[in-house]
Amino acid sequence: MDIESIKKEALEKIEEITEKVDLDLFKKEYLGKKGKIRELFSLVVDLPIEEKKTLGQKINQLSLEIEEIFLKKENDFKKEVKEEIDFSLPTKATELGSLHPITQVKREMERIFQLMGFSVVEGPEIETEWYNFDALNIPEGHPARDALSLGKTFYLKEGGVLRSQTSSSQVRYMQKMKPPIKIIIPGKVYRYETTDASHETNFFHLEGLYIDENVSVSHLKAVLKKFLEEFFKRDVEIRFRPSYFPFTEPSFEVDMLCTVCNGKGCAACKRTGWVEILGSGMVHPDVIKNGGIDPKKYKGFAFGLSIDRPTMMKYKINDVRLFHSANLNFLKQF
Amino acid sequence: MIFSYNWLQSFFKEKLPKPEKIAELLTMHSFENEYIQKKGNDFLLSIDVLPDRAGDCLSHIGVARELSVLLNQKTIFPKTKIKKISSVFPVKIEDNNDCLRYTTAVLKNVKIEPSPKWLKEKLDACGINSINNIVDITNYVMLETGQPLHAFDYDKVSKGINVRRAKKNEKISLLGGKDYILNEDILVIADENDALALAGIKGGRKAEITKETKNIILESANFNHKLISQTARKLNIRTDASIRYEQNIDPNLTEYALNRAIDLIGVPVDSFNDIYSKKLKPWNIKIDLNNINNVIGLDIPKKDVVNILSKLGFIVKKDMSVDVPTYRQDVLIPENITEEVGRIYGYDKVPFTLPSFSVPAELNNDIYWQNKAKDIMKELGYSEVFNYSFIGDKEKEEFNLNPKEIKNPVSNYLKYLRPTIVPQLIDNVKENLKYFDKVKIFEIGKVFEKKEHICLSGAVSEGNNLKSDILALLSSLGIDKAVFGKEEIKIGKDVIGKIGIKAGVIFFEFNFEKMQKNANDIREYKVVSYHPVAVRDISGLIDEAIEIEDIVQKINQFDLIKSVEVFDIYKGKGVPEGKKSISLHLSLQSKEKTLDPETIDKIIIKIKETINWEERK
Repeated sequence: MDIESIKKEALEKIEEITEKVDLDLFKKEYLGKKGKIRELFSLVVDLPIEEKKTLGQKINQLSLEIEEIFLKKENDFKKEVKEEIDFSLPTKATELGSLHPITQVKREMERIFQLMGFSVVEGPEIETEWYNFDALNIPEGHPARDALSLGKTFYLKEGGVLRSQTSSSQVRYMQKMKPPIKIIIPGKVYRYETTDASHETNFFHLEGLYIDENVSVSHLKAVLKKFLEEFFKRDVEIRFRPSYFPFTEPSFEVDMLCTVCNGKGCAACKRTGWVEILGSGMVHPDVIKNGGIDPKKYKGFAFGLSIDRPTMMKYKINDVRLFHSANLNFLKQF
Repeated sequence: MIFSYNWLQSFFKEKLPKPEKIAELLTMHSFENEYIQKKGNDFLLSIDVLPDRAGDCLSHIGVARELSVLLNQKTIFPKTKIKKISSVFPVKIEDNNDCLRYTTAVLKNVKIEPSPKWLKEKLDACGINSINNIVDITNYVMLETGQPLHAFDYDKVSKGINVRRAKKNEKISLLGGKDYILNEDILVIADENDALALAGIKGGRKAEITKETKNIILESANFNHKLISQTARKLNIRTDASIRYEQNIDPNLTEYALNRAIDLIGVPVDSFNDIYSKKLKPWNIKIDLNNINNVIGLDIPKKDVVNILSKLGFIVKKDMSVDVPTYRQDVLIPENITEEVGRIYGYDKVPFTLPSFSVPAELNNDIYWQNKAKDIMKELGYSEVFNYSFIGDKEKEEFNLNPKEIKNPVSNYLKYLRPTIVPQLIDNVKENLKYFDKVKIFEIGKVFEKKEHICLSGAVSEGNNLKSDILALLSSLGIDKAVFGKEEIKIGKDVIGKIGIKAGVIFFEFNFEKMQKNANDIREYKVVSYHPVAVRDISGLIDEAIEIEDIVQKINQFDLIKSVEVFDIYKGKGVPEGKKSISLHLSLQSKEKTLDPETIDKIIIKIKETINWEERK
């Protein structure tokens, strides 16, 4: 078969093609591995070199021409089948999993303190009375040990208590580590409370402890301010007020200038301009001694921070009970 | 406690600053002010006196003393006349450790009547009900000095006062009408026969002051604060007297307070007694100026320190040792002095100095893996929930648990510590199904079996493929040796998790510590193959006893096997006794070439040999 008639035949054939399948067959018939072009090439192999050259060129020319009409036709098909989705139609968002807001805030707090060189450690939730009270300078008979009134502590029938603050792990780590000790202890704590929008029986605390030679109130002020600024991602003004805790001396209540009204006074800060954010102090020498460390040589600061409360502030949550509600309508918002 | 601005002013010659200014000064240097309220021509300040200062500052004189230091103004406190009386009223103290001092006076021919207007107003301002002139004066003196006083009807007391421990089962009927049964742990004020009052807490009805009362016994005493605190809490009675006695009150105060009350009543003293065997004298604390400054982070000059302490009533000696006034029983160690200096000087003057960076924080492996697991669960579409660590009888019985019990639970539904999270998660799923078509939740938290440990538990509503999720979780944690049984997941012989279904909810629970032990995040690149995947379905018989999971594992060990899926398991009709029929979907792929049918057939034959495969007839 000669080149011209193949060309003619091909042109006629492609003209008649209306289905994509037929176009594929056409490609195979002419341009495929066992197609007509290949067949022509195989015929020229045995010819003398001059003829091989001219004929070869012609076949090449044919091949290009057929490829061209094929591509053109293929393009026509593509134009005809236009793919389309109507994105204006309403639909639901894909269901994702979610992390508890407390988990997210706890991670953020840990991250900030780690950047300041505080290692994160954890302690047991069932504590001995010694670590929860005695070690913290709260002796037998002290009101803070009460089950129902001031101490609000849960006691277990088999002995021991549910820790009422993460401070209970302070002395555990003093006994385990050598100064400098620079740790935070986040975790669940328990209080005997009548629950309401701002009181819970199960909630979360973060304890900070720094023991070294020459630790001062000045360090405590700077660390807490830096933390609050990183956490709230804004400038923060804080003030230290005298307070009392059996395990620190001196003790401080730390207030933050209300972020809602900038100190002008609003409902969020009970018109005082300040929001109480945490309790802190210089570790009492008896507590350092209980940790097996020499209080003459080493000083330290400690602070106890609620995780729930800053979480509520951050997301404007108005009821602490939502945290343990397992309500997905709440949890999937974060 | 509520403080009257005018009352505080009465102790100063100079005009005090505005109430707001005073409140601010007290908040920043002494005690927090909660609110200020205008009342008539007076202002009421609610001040949260700190517990360690209840002994001296639950009184207008105490707070005035603080203000005099903060304002640098002199105070003038009411003077009392010293009464020299030869006639002794009989008082007996059983134990000097229980009652440190007992000062008392008998006043005769007293007229019981309503209080004058000024007295009523002062008490009302501070939130105390007016009763009669005598009771009101005792309360007034308490609000002024901090020393609680008590008045008994002299004619109802038989032969003097006896301060002693109650007898077992001794009864007392208190003012207000409640009856209590006492024991030897409780200190009472008694006469010859009966308990007249719970010492330091509340008076009884027997010697109550009434309209008919003619003669009175005034008591101004000092008791062991621990004893009073324990009794008040045990009997759950908190009174204005007990909250003061629970902290250390200065025993040297009794006489002044008593004389002040006698002056206000204005009747001559008939008889008197003051038993004070171990007089409390100022004690000495050695201080170190450098240490004070190092701890605060300031450089306060010596003269300022001396000035602050002197104004507070401390006597600073040349060797920098300090005599502490007896009304400051909260000051016992040098750190207490540091606090006094710091708070008066002002913490606002302390600079912000970040500690120099020493050692980088250490990675906590436990938290690392918990976070990793939480992230994976979230990727799998699960929502994290938190439940209480408490459960009740319902969970205990339904799940046949043996939980630890709380001595003082908040409710009967919350009286045990959970040894598993599963019951709560099942409830959570059911509750959330009211609002969602599908529910997938998880919790990582402490459970309390013999010891407390961490669990990772999850639950899903039906229609979710829990096992696939667990497989993905395990693989993401790098745990490759876990084997599924029917209701448990094992590594070797160790059960690391449980799986099951209850009330339509499918759940799992892993012992997270065991999980963590087997987890790793070391990954090594495997060559990616571009050759086609060949697929073969095979069906045949195996021994009934053989676990499907074992077979899958064995097949997976063949080089060219890419994956194995079980799509049918059948026992019963048509299958011989002791056998089960299984159908597998095998995918094969080579890294080097396209597999030819002969190679594939050879592998299939080998697989069948390895797992004792029997063709179905």
